[in-house]
Amino acid sequence: MTKIQINGREVEADPKQPLIRACHDQGVDVPMYCYHPGLAPVGSCRICQVEVAGAPGQPSRVVAACRTPVSEGMVVSTDTPKAHDTRRECLEFLLKNHPLDCPICDKAGECDLQDYAFNEGQGKGRSSEPRRKLEKRKSLGDVIVLDEERCILCSRCVRFFTDVTKKAQLTVEGLGSHSVINTYMDKPLEGNYQGNLADICPVGALTSKKFRFQARVWNLSKTLSTCGECSRGCSISVESLRAKQVKRIRPRYNAAVNQWWMCDTGRHALAPLTRALAPEGEVLGGRLRTAAVRGYNGLECSDDVAALDLAADMLASHPGTLVIVSPFATQEEAKAALALAQALKATPQFVSPAPNALKDDLLHTGDPCPNRRGLLELGFGALAPADALAALAVAPSAVLAGERVLELLGHAGLALLPKKLRLVAFDVEASDLASLDIAFPVPTHVEKSGHWINVDGRVGVLNVALPPPALVRRLDLQLAALTAKLSAVPQGS
Amino acid sequence: MVVVQRKELTLAERLYLPEVLRGLSLTFRKFFEKPITRQYPEQPLPTDEVTRGQPRLVVKDDGNIACVSCGMCEVACPAYAITIDGGETDRGIEREPKRFEIDMLRCILCGFCEEACPKDAIFMSNELELADFTRAGLVYDLEKLKRPKSALQERIDYVYRLNNRWRSKQ
Amino acid sequence: MEAFLADVPEWILWVAKVALIFGGLIGTAALMSLAERKVSAWMQFRHGPNRVGPFGLLQPLADGIKFIFKEELIPEGANKFLFRLAPALAAIPSMMTIAVIPIGTIVVGEKKIPFSIAQLDLGIMYMLALGGLSVYGAILGGWASNSKYSLLGGLRASAQMISYELTLILSILVIVALSGSLDLGAIVTAQRENGLWNVFTPFGAVAFVLFTIASFAETNRHPFDFAECEPELVGGFHTEYSAMRFALFFLGEYCAMTVMACLNATLFFGGPSVPLWPEAPWFLGILAFLLKAGFFLFLFIWVRWTLPRFRFDQLMRLGWKVALPIALANVLVVGAWVAFTAKGS
Ligand code: SF4
Ligand code: SF4
Ligand code: SF4
Ligand code: FES
Repeated sequence: MTKIQINGREVEADPKQPLIRACHDQGVDVPMYCYHPGLAPVGSCRICQVEVAGAPGQPSRVVAACRTPVSEGMVVSTDTPKAHDTRRECLEFLLKNHPLDCPICDKAGECDLQDYAFNEGQGKGRSSEPRRKLEKRKSLGDVIVLDEERCILCSRCVRFFTDVTKKAQLTVEGLGSHSVINTYMDKPLEGNYQGNLADICPVGALTSKKFRFQARVWNLSKTLSTCGECSRGCSISVESLRAKQVKRIRPRYNAAVNQWWMCDTGRHALAPLTRALAPEGEVLGGRLRTAAVRGYNGLECSDDVAALDLAADMLASHPGTLVIVSPFATQEEAKAALALAQALKATPQFVSPAPNALKDDLLHTGDPCPNRRGLLELGFGALAPADALAALAVAPSAVLAGERVLELLGHAGLALLPKKLRLVAFDVEASDLASLDIAFPVPTHVEKSGHWINVDGRVGVLNVALPPPALVRRLDLQLAALTAKLSAVPQGS
Repeated sequence: MVVVQRKELTLAERLYLPEVLRGLSLTFRKFFEKPITRQYPEQPLPTDEVTRGQPRLVVKDDGNIACVSCGMCEVACPAYAITIDGGETDRGIEREPKRFEIDMLRCILCGFCEEACPKDAIFMSNELELADFTRAGLVYDLEKLKRPKSALQERIDYVYRLNNRWRSKQ
Repeated sequence: MEAFLADVPEWILWVAKVALIFGGLIGTAALMSLAERKVSAWMQFRHGPNRVGPFGLLQPLADGIKFIFKEELIPEGANKFLFRLAPALAAIPSMMTIAVIPIGTIVVGEKKIPFSIAQLDLGIMYMLALGGLSVYGAILGGWASNSKYSLLGGLRASAQMISYELTLILSILVIVALSGSLDLGAIVTAQRENGLWNVFTPFGAVAFVLFTIASFAETNRHPFDFAECEPELVGGFHTEYSAMRFALFFLGEYCAMTVMACLNATLFFGGPSVPLWPEAPWFLGILAFLLKAGFFLFLFIWVRWTLPRFRFDQLMRLGWKVALPIALANVLVVGAWVAFTAKGS
């Protein structure tokens, strides 16, 4: 640890980190565009300049804080007129060519350039030269659009590929004021991590095609959560509009799991979260709204207390029940399922689909079970979908519980199950299976709170980002209610 | 403390009848004065460039809406009357509103939206009348809000004049 | 035509007169409800009702239709029978009193048909007796409604009407003494023969002022409308009434006003006699009567939109401590004077 002085305060700093980190650690605000804590510093934008006192008798110098290592006894000031002036001049240069696009720019509201120009910039430009005219809508593959005019050539995007995914795809093309960002040979970007570019670009030059113009960022309410697309369980923030729709998922810094990044699979996994509700009064054709019970006309909407009574009677009169949960089950839900399994004298198991091909060296584990480790620790047995279907085919009755459990078992396989199987399912969506007798709705993982345990044993938190539909109760409470009912019903009757 | 001294009444005043007659003569004289009531539907309220009627969206001379759905009016609105969903367009401006609703029952005609708009896209028109049989009918959508620029020109000129005066003071 | 009229049987004339006079009375009451709003509007630089028909003339009709189609509400706990009876009690007596007012004489050829329903020798007694009944409407309505506001309104109405009835009667007594008859027709004749309306005699003038004040109180009109008194009692005795029953109270009030105006014209202003032209043709006489009565009707409205409402104790003080003593003294002096001149002659 090195001792330095920042704005008159003696502080300890890590000599391996650049000066800007020391400042930020102390809560001293130093702007930055090209520097990103996850990327190698290059010092190209010069907005981070601070004043450092010279040796005795020497004038002070202005240095780029992102490229300057801390050294013993450094005296740094960020708030002097000299530092401010330097940064303001630098800002004026950056804004020289940056279009006044904020009303249409998706970055507005979370744009570093906008924030800093607002705090420290001057109201008017002094240049009468026209701004650069470049391409405003250049597609860089399926995920990202580049607006060349807005780019301030900080090269964060270039370094993201060289430093993080270790496969260079972008470069700065041309010289001087003709420089633009481009891919090598105009090839579209590839890989599962392109979405991160939209996050790290300090301005609105790189934007996400999926999110483009969907919402203004200040209207989004952000909820801390965990990604469920693989067993890595990246920390994310779920951003929803008017408490109705998840508009965007972004990574959130977690040093031990995903740092600043996340894969595009997780980022774009909005479809399971934005499923429409089934039409009023119907069971199929969308998310389940209420409990459903098989009647003369197939599955019919039912009151959930009555359906629960029925389920308890049915399970009690068909002993030998299988209890299979979804790999999306949270620890809380899994514990409730464990109690249910005990009451039914069943072995708790969970569906464990085969690893997929998305596995890479960076984040994605290829395992689609976000809570595999947690379920294994609780004593659940992993069951491949094919084995599960085979077991179901001979079982007298079964409980399938958890978000997407039917989907993971495979609707085709489920449809072949014998009619005499008494099947109770807790899922977001029911399907028209001959063997499905009672279905209960459950919230999705952005509609409930709970915990998952990731592949490394790290706990990931789920929070309620959207209110679940009106009559949908938490799965753990529903399972507990069923368990209670079962203990009241005499077994084997 | 304020002590109000009661006025001593004269005999004539205490007799009351003369005062009654005085009052009657006053009302009788007023009887012949010209009514000042405005016969509303036949004589509409006067409007002027300063009239802050209901907000309306400008349709530019090329037929395109001037709004880029930046959401500035939405945040500026103190009554939460505005709801905007943006979307992409092929026009040079890239972005335009797909849904733009002003709940006229919530709107308090404050003009903040007009002030907030960076694109000269929303102005306070001189339309003041607001009636419908349902609440939903008073949530105005894009089609109900669009007005050709010419219809709002008077107000636009006024706003520009006002802003210039303010700017020259700086 | 003249021959025909001379030959029509008596009973047809009666029916025609009854229809004409009652119809006129109810029509006047309806018009008054419009006039009230029009006059108040003009006094306040407004237009008043002007949407229904030309100049709003059909407004009373529209009001009538509205009243008919409104829902009739009877409050819970109300005495249903009395509640239904009260509006009729308020309206009917005040309408009946018009019967004895001499509106003039219709002359057809040689035949003189007096234009009034009845020429009673005790006309004034009849009027006072029936007029006294109309207070029951307010009292019963107020009591039967089972509402504190209505009850208070009814109580106030009875107190006020009884207090001012004294003054009213005493001031009429002066005229009776002066003309020596209880028949309204005779009172008119007496004024014509004297060539001097009662209001221009010294006692008559005092009686006129007292009568006018008392008539305001008797008809529950501003500035003495304590039985309704919106700021304190919501709607007074008719708070709980709606639709046609409410309209009946209204009708009663306006009929009472009309009758009072007619009485005032008859007692103090020579009824149908045309000033300075004793030989005027009969239709001018009727016109004169209508104008005189019309003026007093206008006075009711005029005063209402000029004066603020009294306080109830002020009303009582005025009634018992000012009006009544003056009226009593007036009667005593007139009595003495009549007795003296009679003896002397
Ligand atoms: S596109 Fe964005 S991240 Fe890339 S260089 Fe330009 S400003 Fe920087
Ligand atoms: S502020 Fe102007 S441009 Fe922006 S959304 Fe509102 S009307 Fe449209
Ligand atoms: S006038 Fe005011 S209240 Fe109405 S929409 Fe505009 S900002 Fe909102
Ligand atoms: S952040 Fe330091 S030079 Fe860009």
